[in-house]
Amino acid sequence: MRPSTPRRRPVIGQRGSGRQDTAGVLALGRKHRPDYWLVILCAALLSIGLIVVYAISPALAQASHVSTSHFVNKQLLAISLSIVAFIATSQIPLSIWRRLAKPLLIIAAIATVLALLLPVNPAYPAHRWVRLGSFSFQSVEIVKFAALLALAGFFTDRIAHGWLDSYEKTLKPLLIAVLVAGVVIAGPQKLHAQSDLGSMAVLIAIVGAMCFVAGLPLKRLALVGAVLIIGATLVILPSQYRRERLASFVHPESNCQDAGYQACQALIAVGSGGMAGLGLGRSVQAYGYLPEAANDSIFAIYAEKFGFIGCLVLLGLFTAFFSRLKTIAERAPDNFSRLVVCGVLAWLSVQTIINIGAMIGLLPLKGITLPLISYGGTSVVFVAAAVGLVFQVSKYTTFAAPIHVMTEKKGGHSHENHHDGRRLRGAYHPDPSGRASS
Amino acid sequence: MALPNTNSDPNTAALGAQRVRIWYGFLLLIVMIFGVRLFYVQIIRHNHYKNAALSDQLKQYEIPANRGTISARDGNQLIPVVLNQKLYTLYGDPVYIKNPDTVANKVSAITGANASKLANLLRTKDTRYVVLGKRLTPEQNKRLLALKYPGIGTQGQDFRTYPQGDLAAQVLGFVDDSGNGQYGLEQALNSQLKGTPGQLRAITDISGVPLAASRDNTEVAAKSGDNLIVTIDLAIQQQLQTILQKGVKDTKASGASAVIMDPRTGAIKAMANFPSYDPAKYNEVENAKLFANASVSEPIEVGSIMKPLTTAAALDKGVIAPGTTYYDPASWLVNGFRITNIEEDGGAGTRSVADILNLSLNTGVTWELMQMGGGSINDKARTIWHDYMVNHFLFGKATGVEQGYEATGYIPSASDNGAGINLTYANTTFGQAMTATPIQMAAAMAAAVNGGTYYQPHLIDAAIAADGGTTKKTPKVLAANVVAPKISQALIPLMQNVVQKHNFNPGFDQSNYVVGGKTGTAQIAKPGGGYYDDKFNGTYLGFVGGDDVQYVIAVFVDKPTNGGYAGTAAAQPIFGKIAHTLIDESLVTPKTK
Repeated sequence: MRPSTPRRRPVIGQRGSGRQDTAGVLALGRKHRPDYWLVILCAALLSIGLIVVYAISPALAQASHVSTSHFVNKQLLAISLSIVAFIATSQIPLSIWRRLAKPLLIIAAIATVLALLLPVNPAYPAHRWVRLGSFSFQSVEIVKFAALLALAGFFTDRIAHGWLDSYEKTLKPLLIAVLVAGVVIAGPQKLHAQSDLGSMAVLIAIVGAMCFVAGLPLKRLALVGAVLIIGATLVILPSQYRRERLASFVHPESNCQDAGYQACQALIAVGSGGMAGLGLGRSVQAYGYLPEAANDSIFAIYAEKFGFIGCLVLLGLFTAFFSRLKTIAERAPDNFSRLVVCGVLAWLSVQTIINIGAMIGLLPLKGITLPLISYGGTSVVFVAAAVGLVFQVSKYTTFAAPIHVMTEKKGGHSHENHHDGRRLRGAYHPDPSGRASS
Repeated sequence: MALPNTNSDPNTAALGAQRVRIWYGFLLLIVMIFGVRLFYVQIIRHNHYKNAALSDQLKQYEIPANRGTISARDGNQLIPVVLNQKLYTLYGDPVYIKNPDTVANKVSAITGANASKLANLLRTKDTRYVVLGKRLTPEQNKRLLALKYPGIGTQGQDFRTYPQGDLAAQVLGFVDDSGNGQYGLEQALNSQLKGTPGQLRAITDISGVPLAASRDNTEVAAKSGDNLIVTIDLAIQQQLQTILQKGVKDTKASGASAVIMDPRTGAIKAMANFPSYDPAKYNEVENAKLFANASVSEPIEVGSIMKPLTTAAALDKGVIAPGTTYYDPASWLVNGFRITNIEEDGGAGTRSVADILNLSLNTGVTWELMQMGGGSINDKARTIWHDYMVNHFLFGKATGVEQGYEATGYIPSASDNGAGINLTYANTTFGQAMTATPIQMAAAMAAAVNGGTYYQPHLIDAAIAADGGTTKKTPKVLAANVVAPKISQALIPLMQNVVQKHNFNPGFDQSNYVVGGKTGTAQIAKPGGGYYDDKFNGTYLGFVGGDDVQYVIAVFVDKPTNGGYAGTAAAQPIFGKIAHTLIDESLVTPKTK
């Protein structure tokens, strides 16, 4: 991190400094200090995840017959990769990422096809993984990242052309895309689809959040919502496995021995944590009782170790993190970057809600990771990549959120409303008076 | 590339920002719901989930106690005969075995088991537990663990080891795979040897392995079993086994049993049977009969070795005296049957009490029974003799020696059953129509020659508890005044006389030692009634001592086939060898006066 030295000062207020011209897209954004809180909160969440994985690695190692350091080492490697991803997404200008959306979508499609065609690990029979030698990743994580950029670009286009209200130009292609993704990602396993309802829900959340924030009329949104609910019902009902999961969610205690086993064990882990938790090294549920202790179920293990107080701290950290994303989205310098940040917020928050909600018995189990906390390389790397995009946007945020302007129709600078006095805490704010003169 | 103008229309931006705030508001609401739910699950319902967790996680274990060892004396030296050794069971979880053949070959190289058999076991479906080897040594265990194959594990368990090999195997018994004593001492004193198992209540992983980190572990230490010192003298035991083995071979018998007992205490100095088995390989024994200590578990009709006891009873009752003579008609008619003697010895004529034993006169002991009834076999005679058999010599009931499966033997009731009871009772005077074990015969003879005290035959000299406290076993008197002391003094020379009149090679130095005895050639009852006329058991009941009798020796030989009378031809030489060995090894204190 660069220290705030006088050398940087002259940049302030100097229009046309080379960087922002080449950035192009962020035409209005003057570069200022990025939102370091984003990185600090990310690092805090990653550390918590690493500590929990470290604390239960004896149990994990025992179950899978590997050395005690195996899981921590793999997670450290994933974190190193995620730092590389973070630097790439935060330093490569957003305009380039926007142009990369299509190639990324193609790569995501190829990865998905590979996941469907390559042989599966018998322990995890769903076609969700691309395995190339010792290297493996979950294809849906690339899909989420590519979809994020593609959708942001798509909506920015529609807004620019004034096509947002058009069924033909906006809603139809969107529904077709969601349908295709839904069949492949959420389709049943016996059709060799990925049967990954959790990730599909996250994708739909990204789409929905962008529709909403892009300014789609509420009537259209209601229509889209109705279509999605019908679609979800059609996907859930034919699958025995999902019906069981749903039933076990409705009556968890009566299904503890079979379909509801994981849900029951998760609740037992959470509930036995009590006020202050059993302590870092004293989790018992990780010793074979709770499936996927390091991945999908890590919140329950955390709750068992650190109790209600620890859970509040974790929820607080997540909320703080999301509030940074929210503020950056509010003050994004343009539609594209706002939509990107919104997509990231939708992605991470919905994934967090689905994961924790399942662990505390408020939502059915979905089998997706808790962002930044869960063990698992693909998830950590792509979450870091997404946060990197937001970090880049945070360098160009306006000094206050825009409000409705009745007098100006177009071309107005959103940061003209700087006098409402709200500041993005922790970020560097250029002198408002200097800005006003530009 | 000309991108569309992405600069926000302020109202689009404002709407976007507003909708971001709405979205975020929903998010906050959900987080708050989560917080409330967490409060409910973790605080209000904490006890419910804690109990649910414990009911899954808390398991109770028994910690096995160390089983007591067994040692015996060899002179003054204490020698261990049963120790414990940790041996290992090798098991595999087929789910984790990727290459059954590789694993099987490596394991086979260490344990010597058949590799293809192991590979088949490792391919077993539907099970997570296959036993690949048993009783592996600590060394093998180390090498197996060094393989570090996932899905292969070992479990240690204490097993008995026998530093003295098969010595006294049937007396000791063995300990089965579940840790319980079977046969012999191990069975009879199982709870004393086993100790009290401890208890471990522990939080475990899902497979039941206790977690060291758990603070809910509670432990009650196991209390080790007593270490036992037996009365067996290893030198005598070793000699006895050798003599019995040779005796069985020489007489082409089915087997033989012998008991050597100290009549002054009831302590058993040696007890053996042939054939026997190797207790370290008890699981390879096919004929379970080999486990039994026939000396206590196989009662037979004992034959003429009963005659000294009949005589002792008649003497004690005062109906005859050691010097009494009588006219023996060579046969008595009882209940329509003729009781006769062995032809070459048993002609009619005047006989003495000494003749009755020396010539083994069936008619003589029948005459003694008649004297108990005042001249004929009647209720009174039967009642007196029954009283001696059951209440003085304690036949028909277990002695209580520390052995599994002790038999009681059989004494017919004295009451008239209307089916020839007098004949039956006449038969019991020479050891037919009743059964007894070698230990019962030895204990009864011991009481007859030690001045009349029936000591319980016993094998335990002392027990050393886990805390080091030693309990010395004091001899237990089961019956006093079995016979009057002077009757003992009268019986000893009568039996010495028998030894002197019989052909021992070499003979005994009766000036320094007392050696007495009596042979028995016992008829064997047919299952359907009556007796075999070509099969006999050879028995001998005798003693060796100096100023007092120091060893009573009972020898039973099962169906010898070397010709002659079984008692004389088969059992007597074995007794002779034992008696000579005891004297030659200076185990008998000679006479001082």
